Amino acid sequence: MSIRNNIQSVWSRVGTTANYTMLGIFSLAALYPLWYVIVSSLSSSRAITAGEVSLWPVEFNTRAYLRLFDDGQLFVSMGNTIVVTLVGTLLNMVLTTLAAYPLSRKRLKGRNYLLMFIIFTMLFTSGVIPNFILVKSLGLMNSYWSLWLPALLSTYNMFVMKSFMEGLPEEIEESAAIDGAGDWRILFQIILPLCKPIMAALSLFYAVSWWNSYFNVLLYITKSSLQTLTLKLYQMILQVNQSLLNSGSGSEGVDQVMLTPEGIKAAAIVIAVTPILIVYPILQKHFVKGVLIGSVKG
Amino acid sequence: MEDQRSTFRHRFLRDRHLYLMLLPVILFYLIFKYAPMIGEVIAFKDYRLGDGIFGSKWVGFKHFESLFGSIDFWRVLRNTLVLNVYSLVFGFPVPIVLALLLHEVRKEWYKRTVQNLLYLPHFISWVVLGGIFIALLSPSTGVVNTILEHVFGMEPIYFMADSRWWPVAYTLSGIWREAGWGTILYLAAMASIDPQLYEAAKMDGASKLRQIWHITLPGIRSTVAILLVLRMGSMLDVGLEQTLILQNQSVLDVADVISTYVYRVGLQNMNYSYTTALGLFQSLISLILVVGVNRLTRAFGERGLW
Repeated sequence: MSIRNNIQSVWSRVGTTANYTMLGIFSLAALYPLWYVIVSSLSSSRAITAGEVSLWPVEFNTRAYLRLFDDGQLFVSMGNTIVVTLVGTLLNMVLTTLAAYPLSRKRLKGRNYLLMFIIFTMLFTSGVIPNFILVKSLGLMNSYWSLWLPALLSTYNMFVMKSFMEGLPEEIEESAAIDGAGDWRILFQIILPLCKPIMAALSLFYAVSWWNSYFNVLLYITKSSLQTLTLKLYQMILQVNQSLLNSGSGSEGVDQVMLTPEGIKAAAIVIAVTPILIVYPILQKHFVKGVLIGSVKG
Repeated sequence: MEDQRSTFRHRFLRDRHLYLMLLPVILFYLIFKYAPMIGEVIAFKDYRLGDGIFGSKWVGFKHFESLFGSIDFWRVLRNTLVLNVYSLVFGFPVPIVLALLLHEVRKEWYKRTVQNLLYLPHFISWVVLGGIFIALLSPSTGVVNTILEHVFGMEPIYFMADSRWWPVAYTLSGIWREAGWGTILYLAAMASIDPQLYEAAKMDGASKLRQIWHITLPGIRSTVAILLVLRMGSMLDVGLEQTLILQNQSVLDVADVISTYVYRVGLQNMNYSYTTALGLFQSLISLILVVGVNRLTRAFGERGLW
């Protein structure tokens, strides 16, 4: 019996070690592509072209970054992305709240019809072309409203917030209502302060999707001064002829030999990801909560 | 009767501020969700920008006929389905396995670190990931091919330009971005399993694997069912941003899917009506799929979506 127990405990220790090791490897695999691009952005073009870059920067240099800083265009588009993200997220949160609060009140007459009216748009989504024609005929092309208005609220996120509000204790609100507080005051002074965790999670989801999206920008924003970071990257990645390499002036001969589009691309990617990497550790405790509330029942 | 009416009016008046809050919301859904549905009628018309949606000529099912008669349609439909089946078959089980592994980790700090690293790719744009993957898999400079060449002595593989390899790269990139994130719901379901079940199993001498098979997996069954329903409902819905950044001219025979085809032929070549017909086809099939699969899940005694 004791031998059997011993064997079992040895096996379970082996299993545990194997499990920890595997998870460690998976985590590194999740991280490696990012690491690779950081390392590439700091390597010389010769090393990249020769395929020598894998784990550490080879022939360390920061020319790719200097080049991007010099050019400045990337930072214009980053400014645009910040505007799109901040305003977009703010609009999203306002509208999500305006939808979620009334719909979370069970006493609201016609609530079920309204919910059906909204849920149907989740089941049947219209295609890209009708949306494009709509945005175009509203005269929104080359304005950020073409991005914000069609995405004012995500039905899914709205349901997440609604179910969070439904989970709040009703007594607090009832006593406020007896004190004569109106719906707006109850919303702003009682409900929203209790909703902080879910608001943090949803803001994060909205902000990340604004920061990352590029397809709508590709459709609706054609002016280069209005383009966002992701669109710039999209063009950099797809275009064979790198405008960045040909633009600028001065000591070009040297740089063109020294720099490959690969290095510049890598540096641009690193610049684009950095803000996400900075906010990620701060916000990570919120988003798991957001996902879980959403899954309870949308 | 009179009474009922007055209570109705009373309730409406009492909640007028709530309705006021909903006003912009309803307007949003009408303008940006329902109006495009009306716009779908151009699938039955010859839409021209100058004539507008209502001024354009009706042509009946002309666009659907030419759609179903074209090779392109069957090609993009096949690609869409094939890529989805790959993602489903290879991608769907990965988060479950990862969650099972994570669930067994007893050291909290290790678990949390691993989780945070695995969730991270989900927050990165497809443009960025696409750029990274193209660089990693490049036949001349990418590290993957360097390893294949120097360690295994193989010829470089053109992952992104070879029709046999592109779907592999596509599927793996999808798994890489979403597998970690996908564990959240499973982990939550696992955390809600009664620990006494495990205790009892241990007393009976059940091994870890048997515990997983008889306790953990049944415990997450309904979560799996719901996520599967959602996944099936989007079988015609290939991630547009992912595909667009990863595809290129030389692999269009396997990489061109419904949404990228609509973008290229519809918006870039301005074949609005023709591609709206394709989009409408996609929307209708998706609707049928969600409703159908949901029915099926409920028939099997699971909760379903509604």
